[in-house]
Amino acid sequence: MNSERCGVFGIYAFDECWNVSRFIYYGLVALQNRGQETCGMAVFGEKGLKVVKGKGLAEDFFTEKSLEEVKGWAGIGHVSPLEPHCNENIQPVYVGDGVRVALCYNGKILNYKELCEGEIKPEEDAVAVANLLAKELKHSDPLEAMESVMEKIRGAYSLIAFTDKGEMIVARDPKGIKPLVIGSYGFDHGAVASESAAIDVIGADLKADVKPGEIYVFNSYSIDRKRALKDRERHCAFEYVYFCRPDSIINGKSVYEVRMKIGEYLAEEFPVDADVVIGVPETAIPFAMAYSNATGIPIHMGFVRSGRSMRTAIRPTQFERLVGVQLKLNPIKSAIRGKRVVLIDDSVVRGTTTRNIVNIMRNKIGAKEVHVRVGSSRLIAPCPFGVEVPGKDELIAAHLTEEEISKVVGADTFAWLSLEGMVKAIGLPKDKLCMGCFTEEYPYLEEET
Amino acid sequence: MKILLVGEGAREHAIADALSRSTYSPRIFAVMKLRNPGISRICEETRGEVKLGDSTDPSFVASIAEQFSVDFVFIGPEEPQFHGVADEVENRGIPCVGAKRGPSEIEMSKAFMRRLMWKYKIPGRLRFMAFKNIEDAVAYIEEYAESIALKPARQAGGKGVKVIADLQAYLKKEKEEVKKKHVRNIVEEHMRPYTDIEERILIEQKVEGPEYTLQCFTDGRVVKPLPLVQDNKNAYEMDIGPETGGMGSISGPGKTLPFISEEEYEESVEIVFQTVRAIEKEVGEAYKGIIAGQMMLTALWGPTIIEFYSRFGDPEAVNVLPLLETDLVEISEAIISQSLNKVKLEFRDSATVVKCVAPRGYPNRRDLAKGHPIYVDESKIKEAGGRVFYGSIDIVNGEMITGGSRAVEIFAEADTIPAASEIAEKCVQYVTLGDGWKLFHRSDIGTEELLNERIELAKLIREIYRYRREKNLIGRQIDWIPKRGRIEYEF
Repeated sequence: MNSERCGVFGIYAFDECWNVSRFIYYGLVALQNRGQETCGMAVFGEKGLKVVKGKGLAEDFFTEKSLEEVKGWAGIGHVSPLEPHCNENIQPVYVGDGVRVALCYNGKILNYKELCEGEIKPEEDAVAVANLLAKELKHSDPLEAMESVMEKIRGAYSLIAFTDKGEMIVARDPKGIKPLVIGSYGFDHGAVASESAAIDVIGADLKADVKPGEIYVFNSYSIDRKRALKDRERHCAFEYVYFCRPDSIINGKSVYEVRMKIGEYLAEEFPVDADVVIGVPETAIPFAMAYSNATGIPIHMGFVRSGRSMRTAIRPTQFERLVGVQLKLNPIKSAIRGKRVVLIDDSVVRGTTTRNIVNIMRNKIGAKEVHVRVGSSRLIAPCPFGVEVPGKDELIAAHLTEEEISKVVGADTFAWLSLEGMVKAIGLPKDKLCMGCFTEEYPYLEEET
Repeated sequence: MKILLVGEGAREHAIADALSRSTYSPRIFAVMKLRNPGISRICEETRGEVKLGDSTDPSFVASIAEQFSVDFVFIGPEEPQFHGVADEVENRGIPCVGAKRGPSEIEMSKAFMRRLMWKYKIPGRLRFMAFKNIEDAVAYIEEYAESIALKPARQAGGKGVKVIADLQAYLKKEKEEVKKKHVRNIVEEHMRPYTDIEERILIEQKVEGPEYTLQCFTDGRVVKPLPLVQDNKNAYEMDIGPETGGMGSISGPGKTLPFISEEEYEESVEIVFQTVRAIEKEVGEAYKGIIAGQMMLTALWGPTIIEFYSRFGDPEAVNVLPLLETDLVEISEAIISQSLNKVKLEFRDSATVVKCVAPRGYPNRRDLAKGHPIYVDESKIKEAGGRVFYGSIDIVNGEMITGGSRAVEIFAEADTIPAASEIAEKCVQYVTLGDGWKLFHRSDIGTEELLNERIELAKLIREIYRYRREKNLIGRQIDWIPKRGRIEYEF
């Protein structure tokens, strides 16, 4: 399975009296925004390493009973937005002979096919990496083994593995494309997660980002740490715009602060005379608040969501995307009727969701004007590192101008945040960001050509 | 002049070093459980002698003091004090620096310490419950889900403390399990060797904030504070990992730390002073020796007592004793004759960093950390600008062997803490093991980054406690427990 925009979590208690399976569970619930199709955990305790994994949301899949079966003082967990054909490929994968390794990661290994002999399906990339690590562990200590694996694999990865000897191995790719942070709970646990919000949710304190190219090895009596590979950082810009929870801090930057700045710059770049600002729940709400603060146009609650948070752009099928929109967004008529509306959205991929929303606002409720402002720059290219941006032929921004898009979605005006505005909002130097989906220039790939 | 030093750690090495600098050129004798290389060398250089044996046995120590007819005895660690070494030495007419059995109760019994603070209304006290058996402690834990510190009721070599923040209702069950298991662990493991105290378990309210240690000389009448030191208790970098005796510490420049204000420093000294006076009233004996407050800046009070030491901290002693410019022999004599008010303490105005180097396995698997041959290239360390203080190392057949705890403490001095940290960091590589086992230390201690974290935390806490003071809320806490109603705690 491609470990596209997944969530990873790991925890290690230094005192064996702890049972951490529920900590992992809540860590995964906190990371559910990063994938809702499969979930799993591997926990190490008195009975060795136990794995439980399956389809669905963490809250639905894990039960009192299944958590009870995987008791232990350390372990790892994973959530994914993709559904594999084969249950064994759900992460954490668990492989090896002699040395057994459970492994999960967020990202995409570009050269997974070269790692093992024989045919490997795309969804078996994690299996291939885990097998490679297990092989290395037969003759090296965990730090050396991971270092040697990192020399062989190429791509984006925030990875956590657990050996059947009780060692937790953490690694982040040399460019640090995907986020990964480390935290601590007093004298009792160390924890690692894709987003700092998961560290907060289990009551631990955020300590730092795992640095690009860095390896951590936890065991019951030490933590080893090494910057194994050094390269220029290229942090994913889309994480800030769309993927991360607003309460997370990644690569030292508060996602909420970035999103407020995006709203501010949108107002600066594309002001419009209007009566009300409305944000599309949930990612675009901070954009809309900041747009309203900057322009003085009042913000209103335009939509109420039914059911659980579902992220429409990342649902696997078109059908579910449509169902997702209807369920997700029921408009509040009195906030919209007869008003000139600035509608703030987080991203526009195919234009389908935006078209539906504008259509509802205008034709069903009677908004006087609808001006769409998007908090991301033009999404013009797919992502080789697994951020599930569809192919170029499905990306509206790659084919139409803003004016054309405004006609397609039925809006009065339509505008994306400029690339410069987005970079400025993120607050990291442009050359430290991966902006492949906005520019079609990719780290790792560009170096080969 | 002849002095007998009791104890075998890096702290005692620093004491021996400070004593040996005296203008009285004292001969230094030592009673040690094992042969600390640093102290042994100082004894040799000053024409003293080393006696190996049980340094906690009063008659053994006193007989050695008599044998060498020393002018006074200086006790480093707490256990000899708890066993009454100072009392026995004084009974035989030899003066002693180091708390007697009575006053040392301030460290030995954590329940005594808390009760004393409440009885004499000393600021910086915390709510606590002391239990004599597992059942009562477990019943309390089952009733209240709180953020607490679970401690052995007696000082147990700094081990056995567990701090549980219990703020997520959805993880309450897991935490309750751990609290209960740990209560059992305290009684059955940590407290098992000790029959000299009835209470077994102490449960204290958990507080948060930056920690610091205030070490003071006292003759029972006045306290003379040393510069503040901050120790780092987590085993691994970035404050991750199990609790240790301390992996390294920072001090200076000047008497306070970059994150503690002058006012907070003065208030901390006042707390220690009031405690010293209260101890004398309670036990009927003057406190003659060293007292240290392990303190925290909390929202509840500002300066708050976490624990008291009846001795110098380790590694904290190693930060400040090398900077001491006043003659330690004169200080000792002033403590003995209760004329400490006449002594002016002077320190070199530097920032210091101490980094402890321990064999892997410390603190939770001391069996793995023990028994490795260790080499220290002192001349290289000196060249790099640092100094070595020997800790948990024994000399066996002329070879240095690790004892399972922090083996070496590297001291470095500079204008700023980060600069001292860099020096210490360069020195660490000159400590090596001879058998392929690995050593570890914390490279982050004293770095700008970690220091800024402490400064930020202190700012946050300072804002809250100052607000509480303004609103006259200090010393009061109101709680409401379902079905029990409102509870008001008057501090």
